[in-house]
Amino acid sequence: MTLQFGPILEQWPYLLGGAWLSLQIAVLAFACGMLIGLLCASILQYGPSSMRRIVGAYVTFATNTPQLVQIFFLFYGLPEVGVTLSPFTAVLMGATFNAGAYLCEIQRSGFASVKHAELESAAVLGFSRMQIIRHVTFPHVMKVMFPPLSNQFIVMTLGTSMASIFGVEELTGRIDNLGAETYLSVEAFLVAAVLYIAITLLATWLLTLYGRSVCRARMDIL
Amino acid sequence: MSPAAHAFSSYDVLLLLKGFLTTFALALIGCLTGFALGFVAALLRSTRSPEMAPLRAALAAYALAFRRIPFLVTLMLVFFASQAMNANLSTFTVALVSICLIAAAYLSEIARGGLESVHRNQWQAARALNFSHWQTLRYVVVPQAWRVIVPPTFGFFVMFIKDTALASQIGVMELTSAGKVLGNKGLPEALVYGTILMLYFLLSYPLSRLGKHLEHRLAAAGNR
Repeated sequence: MTLQFGPILEQWPYLLGGAWLSLQIAVLAFACGMLIGLLCASILQYGPSSMRRIVGAYVTFATNTPQLVQIFFLFYGLPEVGVTLSPFTAVLMGATFNAGAYLCEIQRSGFASVKHAELESAAVLGFSRMQIIRHVTFPHVMKVMFPPLSNQFIVMTLGTSMASIFGVEELTGRIDNLGAETYLSVEAFLVAAVLYIAITLLATWLLTLYGRSVCRARMDIL
Repeated sequence: MSPAAHAFSSYDVLLLLKGFLTTFALALIGCLTGFALGFVAALLRSTRSPEMAPLRAALAAYALAFRRIPFLVTLMLVFFASQAMNANLSTFTVALVSICLIAAAYLSEIARGGLESVHRNQWQAARALNFSHWQTLRYVVVPQAWRVIVPPTFGFFVMFIKDTALASQIGVMELTSAGKVLGNKGLPEALVYGTILMLYFLLSYPLSRLGKHLEHRLAAAGNR
């Protein structure tokens, strides 16, 4: 068996376009997930116990069921109640639903790591509420949260590959197309593997640089 | 009677049960094999001799690479590669091999983290007592490291259970495929996938609880 990468690599603009779409899905889902996670983490911290229980159930459910089946539910189940989603929307909603739960957990433990004494000493020094958040809570929380957040982003970037199952033409979808057209599926998926490794390595490296310099997070460079 | 009891015939329930067991078997065998391979990889990576350096580098590269390939891509790669080589593997075997590949990568990192969590003084003390590298591992490091290794392993077990859902893409008759079959039979899709989600939850929730429980129980003793 000889491997022929030529016909696959010839299509590099097509593949890079797919990779770009994968990244877009990951970034969008991450941003929406951060908002949901922040909301849920605040409820877990300050909300009434009934709300806390609902959020707790959401986090437990979303983290213990496969994202693929969650998207199946959205994509095939919701039309029965009259809500028809495009594949892209269904994938994005599923990824957000899933990410929201994980990001809630990360943010909750991030906020829990701020020591009470630090907040009290800031108050004693005459910091206003906003100043405490800006100068004490936020830097501390970012330092603790940044490594798990960047890890979660990488996991989500890999997770976008399941969008191909619903016909979204991101990197895996386009690789699938190329493999079917050229009958070179092994080569196509090898290229996909290398591209995913390259993309996530690059993302990890950039995030690590940012985290170390801006958030003073303790992260090893690979 | 609940609507679910009306909708699912005994054949459907049997299909779901079979899918449930297949999912569990995939994740369990994959996780156990992956753990064994990953643990050995971590032990090899803990060596310090220069002649082992190429092996250490290869294992490190393996762990780095396979944690950065989406499971779907690994699955398709193994699937098409086995076809191209005319290896007559069942789809179950293909899925199992893929899970073992990524499980070994993830769990070798966990095991390595566990071995490295044992304080340097312990390694040095064992060395001062003239322990060989393997004796140090056997009598000093591993008995302390397993507390750090076991709890996250349950987390990854749950992750592999969820990842096996993707095996439905190559036609393994596991839980998600069972859902697809029932959906194609014309049962209400929301009900079908709702049931599938609950079954996955039933499988992974006790395990993640057990992992959390062990984490609390084992974390108390710090290694110094």
